[in-house]
Amino acid sequence: MKIRQLATGLACMGATLTLLPAFAADPILIGASITQSPPGSVVQGTQVKDGMEILKDMVNAKGGVLGREIKVVYEDNQGIPEKGRAATEKLISKDKVVALAGGHQSSVCLAEIEVAHRYKVPYVNTNCWSDDVRKRGYPEVFNTSPYNTLVSSSMATTLATMGVKRVVAFAENTDYGIGQAKLTGELLKQKAPNIEYKYETLDRASKDFTAAILPLRANPPDVIVMSMLPPAAYIVMNQVYEQGLAPSAKTILYDGGGLADYPDFWQNVKEGGKYLLSFALYHPAMPQTQLAKDVAAEYKKRTGNDVNRLVLQAADSLHLVVEGIRQAKSAEPEKVATAMRTMKFDSLRGVSNFSTQAGYGYQQWLDIPFVNYELTAEKQPVGQTVLIQAPGQKFDPAKIVRPK
Amino acid sequence: MLRLSLDLLANGLIYGCFYALMAVGLAMIFGVLKIVNFAHGEFFMIGAYTYVLVALNLSVSPWLALPCAALAGAALGWIVERLLMRPLYAGYASWGFMKDEYAVVVTFGLSLLLVNLVDKAVGPYSYKGPSLIEASRFALGPVMLTGQKAIATVVAVLIMIALALFLKKSVWGKQIQAVAQNRLGASLAGIDATRTTSLIFAVSGMLAALSGALLAPLINPSPDVGSFPAIKSYVIVVLGGMGSVWGAMIAALIVGVSEAFFSVYGSYDYRDAFGLAILVLVLLLRPQGLLGQKGRDV
Repeated sequence: MKIRQLATGLACMGATLTLLPAFAADPILIGASITQSPPGSVVQGTQVKDGMEILKDMVNAKGGVLGREIKVVYEDNQGIPEKGRAATEKLISKDKVVALAGGHQSSVCLAEIEVAHRYKVPYVNTNCWSDDVRKRGYPEVFNTSPYNTLVSSSMATTLATMGVKRVVAFAENTDYGIGQAKLTGELLKQKAPNIEYKYETLDRASKDFTAAILPLRANPPDVIVMSMLPPAAYIVMNQVYEQGLAPSAKTILYDGGGLADYPDFWQNVKEGGKYLLSFALYHPAMPQTQLAKDVAAEYKKRTGNDVNRLVLQAADSLHLVVEGIRQAKSAEPEKVATAMRTMKFDSLRGVSNFSTQAGYGYQQWLDIPFVNYELTAEKQPVGQTVLIQAPGQKFDPAKIVRPK
Repeated sequence: MLRLSLDLLANGLIYGCFYALMAVGLAMIFGVLKIVNFAHGEFFMIGAYTYVLVALNLSVSPWLALPCAALAGAALGWIVERLLMRPLYAGYASWGFMKDEYAVVVTFGLSLLLVNLVDKAVGPYSYKGPSLIEASRFALGPVMLTGQKAIATVVAVLIMIALALFLKKSVWGKQIQAVAQNRLGASLAGIDATRTTSLIFAVSGMLAALSGALLAPLINPSPDVGSFPAIKSYVIVVLGGMGSVWGAMIAALIVGVSEAFFSVYGSYDYRDAFGLAILVLVLLLRPQGLLGQKGRDV
């Protein structure tokens, strides 16, 4: 009896080993310097890691790349530029990674690309929006991330279309926040010079923004633009609501960071989130590739949450590196970079290639799809929001719902 | 203009009350041990998280979650004193010469440990705590308030009154004052200075935790939530006079109100710097702080 059980066990093990992909050589290492502990955005870091892990597992389940398993080596940069620089140095010189991906905070990215540029190792920017990351013109840096010019230009067009007169922006004190607020102002001057615009810089580590909000009560603006990330953005929204300022029949709250994407959004804003108008880079109504659908399903299975743009961007970044290695037929960093520069890339969010124009467009996927939607009920999932600007369509202000 | 000024005054006083709850505990610890507790912000964070998690996960009334947070803060304070602070004074004579270094390193290390522990155990996402009362928002004259902000302020003021009575009237309060004035003298008079120090850490932890719990519905706590009020508290404690509880209370209100006004009539960008500027000014004119003369007796 025991011999029969042993034989059965061995047979099962053999069958399992046969089904698993066999990797002949050492794994190909890809580096990711992300925020895994405070004070940086651990929320973003967690989502970036989730997206990269899902894509890595999918690639390895299909036999890896060039017959080799891929492995992502993570380093925690805490959202601090100096730590990001040190992490990148370690990943390149000690771990010998082929490429880097996952960067998600502009200030950190700006420090890290200096190291990647010095070693000539490809660096895929996952979510650093500051235009300065592109303006340095480093040939090793590839940008699948949204960029401030795209977002600010779209927001300025939206504000001009809405026909508003007075706009106030709250910007967090980061390269992303200040960059976006400044650029929106400059673009508004071109698109709608009659709109009065100003922005206030807020400390993202602060917990009380009432003093910045109170002066607006006497003469509320038509729109308050939010260029902020959680958790500070949630606190500002709650305090703006608490003061009866927005959302109101007079004032619309317009978010430029895709806040409703975050899994903790409704838990943190409650009634203050209703009627939020949001510029967004993901909505289930947007065209999606099969790979994006597979990543979304796997993310739901692993976390119980609906997929969001950051998870897809992270998976896309790793996907780009894998395709670069595949097309270069090599795991040499310089050959991979050359392949990535010239190839047409089927990303999770559409077909993309990298522009060569100088400035904000340098090695940037320019035509990143976006939408504008409004949250019209509390706890509303993104999929049920009202699309004010459907993918590829014009912004329709008549669809905006205001509180009575 | 008048309406805005009243708004700013009310808001400054409200946040001043919460700063005071935080700073008083810090001042008590300094008054007795002459050390700065760099993990004080994490007592605040533990209180905020206990309140939110107990109320949300156990579906307990927020009014019951509040004492749970106070207990968690008190327990943490007591444990920290027993495990980490006791070497400073309980028979480790050779430690005396490096007391300050030890206190800085151990409390700073504890701060990092607690932040990362909560980050890993609970996750990085922020949580908005449930309000103590249902009222969403209302106007009190020209001042707009949420129900939570109003009730939390009332509770904070009641806690401070209770603390003042405890220190002035109770036997334990008098023991704390005695140990703060002269540890050796208090011991010779029969007061158990070690037990009193444990009590101070427990009370200090409880006050910070209550501050965190009361603010949890307003500031959406995340693991690093304690750093912001902690920095304010250090300024307030020095401004009030190192170790002076009453000085800390007054300084907290001054900082809260003056920051609110400076943000609007001065520059919002430099409001934190303004608090530090007041500190420098007071220290130049009165180096011992506002109530520095009585600073060493709690």
